[in-house]
Amino acid sequence: MIEVSSLNKRFGSVQALKDICFTAEQGKVLGFLGPNGAGKSTTMNIITGYLSPTSGRVRVGGYNILEHPRQAKRLIGYLPEVPPLYKEMTVREYLEFAYALKNAQQPRRKHLDDICEQVKLSQVWGRRIGNLSKGYQQRVGLAQALVGDPPVLILDEPTSGLDPQQITEIRALIKRLGERHTVLLSSHILPEIQAVCDRILIISRGSIVADGTTRSLSSGLSASGRLTADIKGDPRQVLPLLSSIPGIERAEKGIQNEPGVYEYSLLLKPKADPRQAVFEALAEQKLPLLGLKRDGMTLEEIFLRLTAQSNETEGELSDIPGQENRNSKEEEQDQ
Amino acid sequence: MKAILKRELKAYFSSPIAYVCIGALCALFGYYFYQVLLSGSTYYIASVYNMMFMWGMMIIPILTMKTMSDDRRNRTDQMLLTAPVGLFSLVMGKFLAALTVYAVGLLFSLIPCAVISFYADPGWGVIFGNLLGSLLYAAAMIAIGVFLSSLTESQVIAAISTFGVSIVLMVIDQMAFLLKNNVLERIVSWTSFSSRFVPFSRGVLDIASIVFFLSVAAAFLFLTARRLESRRWS
Repeated sequence: MIEVSSLNKRFGSVQALKDICFTAEQGKVLGFLGPNGAGKSTTMNIITGYLSPTSGRVRVGGYNILEHPRQAKRLIGYLPEVPPLYKEMTVREYLEFAYALKNAQQPRRKHLDDICEQVKLSQVWGRRIGNLSKGYQQRVGLAQALVGDPPVLILDEPTSGLDPQQITEIRALIKRLGERHTVLLSSHILPEIQAVCDRILIISRGSIVADGTTRSLSSGLSASGRLTADIKGDPRQVLPLLSSIPGIERAEKGIQNEPGVYEYSLLLKPKADPRQAVFEALAEQKLPLLGLKRDGMTLEEIFLRLTAQSNETEGELSDIPGQENRNSKEEEQDQ
Repeated sequence: MKAILKRELKAYFSSPIAYVCIGALCALFGYYFYQVLLSGSTYYIASVYNMMFMWGMMIIPILTMKTMSDDRRNRTDQMLLTAPVGLFSLVMGKFLAALTVYAVGLLFSLIPCAVISFYADPGWGVIFGNLLGSLLYAAAMIAIGVFLSSLTESQVIAAISTFGVSIVLMVIDQMAFLLKNNVLERIVSWTSFSSRFVPFSRGVLDIASIVFFLSVAAAFLFLTARRLESRRWS
């Protein structure tokens, strides 16, 4: 449904997007993940035809957005980062305006009622948008994107400003919509992307640094895996012991979980699986091993690592760059 | 275009702007008609419209100041520009809405004329000439105002610059005398809005002036659409 090829965008001397390429198929939710200012909104603005690319091509449903803007735009429902609301209108007037503007063909009353039902707007139907809370305004923006039932939905941070319960509702809604529509969703909140998206694009400083499912991303990156072990005993005794086990690159002491029990994080050498060796070594020293878990990387770690990588040296795909950076960030989180 | 026109009209009439502008126009019309009546002759009706021509300069910038700038500031332009609507129909919708509000104000000026017609002939030819001239002038000025509004995010700047332009276009034929060059003088006075208005105030439908005002309007609407287009490339 959406094809984006070698998209570049310059704002004056700033290169906002560098060679962005991806396609999104029908019936999939594609997540766009990246820190603030990475180029998520710019990409979305280009796909919807609000901005024009410096070079590159965007096709929506087979229509080039620059050559056939009307046909392409008819297929898109867009919720920008700041919902485009006319604050002096009531919800009803506004959605009727969106309906007329998009020249939608569905029976009007029923179509708008259905949308309000979906995004839970029915009880504020007659109120002025300017008087609604931010969460409701966000939902009005989402409702506007759904008017005309476009096959492609582009949602720029759809859950910002919502409370936790609303967030769960909207996520469920997006998931439901994703069954029939092509949804492109951006967020800087990782669990959200993880919960909703079939596929994830990680974007950093204007380029795509990773593309895949949550699982493929985490397995691809954790070629050198990690173990988390809960061990009872004096860390001064445990740490040297762990470090001496073949297959362990490095051992680090984590937080104290229970009195005397510490969590250790063990970075493994490539393709090593020293779980048995860990158990035996600890048993020999009568150090009780209370838990042992092999982790893939969480999306958070992938994200931090990839964005840190592209910040330091671009293009290097070894495991080491960004490592220090990542660890220091983790420690900050632990404290 | 219809959707945008309808929305804009609703916005004008659901806020005080339309009522204040139309109310001000009516009050001023009333005042000048009162003076005409005191003079005891409908011969002076053209002078009413001449005065209103001046006041129109004050009111039009207020009508046009938020047409484009407000959309940009509230990011509602993202909705309009990503909708399956052409740029020109977008601009046209906004333009026609402002023109409609002004036209409603002008139509109220017919009330005193209608009252006069019970007692004497108010000179309908002159009145309609003036009305048409005022409308054409408003169309050109509103198009300029819409264009200036598309250049900025600030309503105040849009209003003041439109006001400035309309004053310049009004006094430009007086400034033309200062020019020593004959050709330049003719070119400059050719663009004067007030001298273009003169034939209408006598009730004459001057084709050249009609075409002039309509072309100015079309040119600035076109420029506005280009301006919206160029913003995508910045």
